[in-house]
Amino acid sequence: MIRRPNQTRTIILLVAPAFIFVLVFFVLPLVFLLSQSVLPEDGGFTLTGYLDFFQSRVSRIVYLRTLKLGLIVTGICVVLGYPASFVLARMPARRRSFLMSLVILPLMTNAVARTFAWLIILGRRGLINQTLLSLDLVENPVRFIFTETAIVLGLAQLFLPLMVLPLVSAMENIPDDVLEAARSLGANRLTTFLRIVVPLSSDGLVLGATLVFTGSVTAFVTPAILGGSRLLLMSTLLRQKAVILFDQHAAAVVAVVMILTTLAVNLLLRVLRVQQS
Amino acid sequence: MVSRWMYISLVILYGFLLGPFIIIFMASFGANATMAFPPQGFTLDWFANVFETSQFIDSFWISLQLALLSTIVSLIMGMPVAYALVRFRFAGSGIVETVFSAPILVPGLVIGFAMLNFFVLLGDMHVMTGLFIGHTAILFPYSVRVISASLRNLDPYVEDAAVSLGANRLRGFMLVVLPNMQAGIAAAFVLGFITSFNNVPVSLFLSGPGVTTLPVSMLSYLEYYFDPTIAALSTLLVIFTVVLVQAAERVLGLSQFV
Amino acid sequence: MPYLEIHDLTVSYEKNQPTLERFSLDVEQGELVSLLGPSGCGKTTTLRSIAGFIRPDAGQIVINGRDYTFLPPNQRDIGLVFQSYALFPHLTVFHNVAFGLRMRRIPKEEVHSRVANALKMVGLEAFADRRPAQLSGGQQQRVALARATVIEPQVLLLDEPLSNLDARLRVDMRQEIRRAQQQLGITTLYVTHDQVEAMSISDRVVVMNQGDIEQVGTPESIFATPETAFVADFMGFDNHFSAAVDSVHDNQLTVNWGGAPIQLPWRSKFGSPQAGARAEIFFRADNASLAAGSEASGLAGRVILHTFHGNERRYLVETEVGEFSVMQDSAGERFEPGATVTLQPNTQKWIAIIE
Repeated sequence: MIRRPNQTRTIILLVAPAFIFVLVFFVLPLVFLLSQSVLPEDGGFTLTGYLDFFQSRVSRIVYLRTLKLGLIVTGICVVLGYPASFVLARMPARRRSFLMSLVILPLMTNAVARTFAWLIILGRRGLINQTLLSLDLVENPVRFIFTETAIVLGLAQLFLPLMVLPLVSAMENIPDDVLEAARSLGANRLTTFLRIVVPLSSDGLVLGATLVFTGSVTAFVTPAILGGSRLLLMSTLLRQKAVILFDQHAAAVVAVVMILTTLAVNLLLRVLRVQQS
Repeated sequence: MVSRWMYISLVILYGFLLGPFIIIFMASFGANATMAFPPQGFTLDWFANVFETSQFIDSFWISLQLALLSTIVSLIMGMPVAYALVRFRFAGSGIVETVFSAPILVPGLVIGFAMLNFFVLLGDMHVMTGLFIGHTAILFPYSVRVISASLRNLDPYVEDAAVSLGANRLRGFMLVVLPNMQAGIAAAFVLGFITSFNNVPVSLFLSGPGVTTLPVSMLSYLEYYFDPTIAALSTLLVIFTVVLVQAAERVLGLSQFV
Repeated sequence: MPYLEIHDLTVSYEKNQPTLERFSLDVEQGELVSLLGPSGCGKTTTLRSIAGFIRPDAGQIVINGRDYTFLPPNQRDIGLVFQSYALFPHLTVFHNVAFGLRMRRIPKEEVHSRVANALKMVGLEAFADRRPAQLSGGQQQRVALARATVIEPQVLLLDEPLSNLDARLRVDMRQEIRRAQQQLGITTLYVTHDQVEAMSISDRVVVMNQGDIEQVGTPESIFATPETAFVADFMGFDNHFSAAVDSVHDNQLTVNWGGAPIQLPWRSKFGSPQAGARAEIFFRADNASLAAGSEASGLAGRVILHTFHGNERRYLVETEVGEFSVMQDSAGERFEPGATVTLQPNTQKWIAIIE
């Protein structure tokens, strides 16, 4: 760190423009949102919005479904991502760099385009139904669209990169020597993976799981296309309340619950990390 | 250490991540108007249809302008913040860091919703202005993080060396620091551009009559039509993204910043 | 019968590692043998083949009568100490040392007593609950040694174990490793690029160059009588020049050195040399002395440079045959740069190598 005279003035000049921008156009709207959720247009401070939310059967189901699907997606990403990340992390740098650029592709493409593919795969006359029909496994097309399965598949594809990236960077830092040391002491590949690789990449796992889970419970395009209004998640519920029902007070409550949920998960992550170190 | 069967996990990973893109690609050339798989016949009509649909063309130009403008503004305003955070230790730096990483922690849909309500409160705001403000705000975390990372890799004393040779601070920064941050700035630009260009949740609420971004107009098209036009447009966008991401990864190592 | 036998080991290409061409070596039970050579000479490739991390293209590795060549590394009974120590960062010292015993499903009480003994041997009883990151380099090295020996392996392999330590600690650790090795009677292969280290610790030294063995012998014999120019150079013979052989008598030959004949012992891998053959002559700086002026018998020269090394002074002397480095007791006469001197050889400690 370099200390210079007039430091305070310099820092203010550097930080102020962007800071004021974010304060006015980002923080202030969120404060206003919070106030909307506790101040309905026709009355004073009240928490009835939140009480209504948690007492309503529909919104409770939506909230629990959102959390449940988030957990399932996280689980799928761990199972699919863990062994593959290990293989990636042990590759020569050049090949790994190419493969990693393919991993991030779903994150980098238009969400509508990416989700549309699942409509083709899962549709009434889509890839899976045509396969099932031609193998005579089913007599009539199975409905996949607007099911939890569809949402889970779409979200898992989208967020798998967020699991793989932190896992690979954690596993890259495990020296070959350490793995060979375990082998020379008598551990087979599986034992080495479970006893050495897993504990040494747990930071990456926790970070990846947090990113996947918070991403899944707040994603919009995937549940909007694959779940529609028949199978609402928190994000699609928020849109329904705001745009179709024009109930800004209830919509603000949903929005705040979403923020609090992601904050709680991020807080949990911090606690887990502190405990580890 | 990696045994052969573990490569199966790579095949599954990439099949799952990339398979859907191959499906879109195939579907965009299919002749039948309903989305059956496998597609029958071969046609380029759907690609032609993309360019004849004014809804897509108009929103493409809006998305392009929006992405360029908000990325550049977030970079210009974010770079000094990154510089202050990396080069100085000051009271409140923790708060600054939190504030600039917050837009990534708050769900995009919530940001769009909150901004819409706030802008309504402010009065008559042009739709494009609202979109620009929303996109710039969500891009700050990327700009600040990526540029901080590339600044950290640069020896702080090179600036002092420039000053000792007679440059003032600003010239020292321009002549010595900036040229060494080219890769970081370019990476932040690519990341910011893609993030803005693809954004749905924030744009969804802030779009207005006649002013819609491309992804949002794709989403509303899907509500009325289910034909391979979207597949054709998606194919074009995926190819565009693959080229951009591959180039950025090759030259800048993009995946380390994501 | 030797305890560790390596027959015609050939490794052609493995992840940029140097190649090995029909490498053979026998090691007796309880013996400590060093593989000494510059980086890229194949010493680490040999070690990693024995540990099982490299599949040789040809050849055989036999330990205690059992063929090890294609056994997976975890089924070999080998203790390995890495240059980086390769301690498990998430495990305490105790659990690092216990790891190999756990893998062998040793009962808990026995694990405890054996780990305690191993830690006692390296003087780290008090550090059992620490993490590797909380230890100094020397302590980490000791943990690595305890971890590799506690499993009572049939063979102990050490790969440049001291190269990450500072000079003083290196000398201490050298003795500690040797003491532990002798105490436990473990057959040991020790890879190093440092000739002093190899000399001080080994029963025998194998000098390697480009995947081949240059010379095998006791530290004393390699130090005194290198058989190839490479070994002489690597063993710290400071001075070298080439000369034609005048005549050969049994184990002595005569060459012309600046007009005067000198007689010195010779070595060759190709039998007795003929007159006229080219000899590469090596001698150490302390196997020649200087006399003032040019009257004494010997080679006349002029001092170019002198440097002071405590008990000795080292002079660089220019002669008509070339520049030579000579070490003199610093209590004796001091020659200033420019002084005329006579260089007197102690030729019985010189060596002529015919290649």
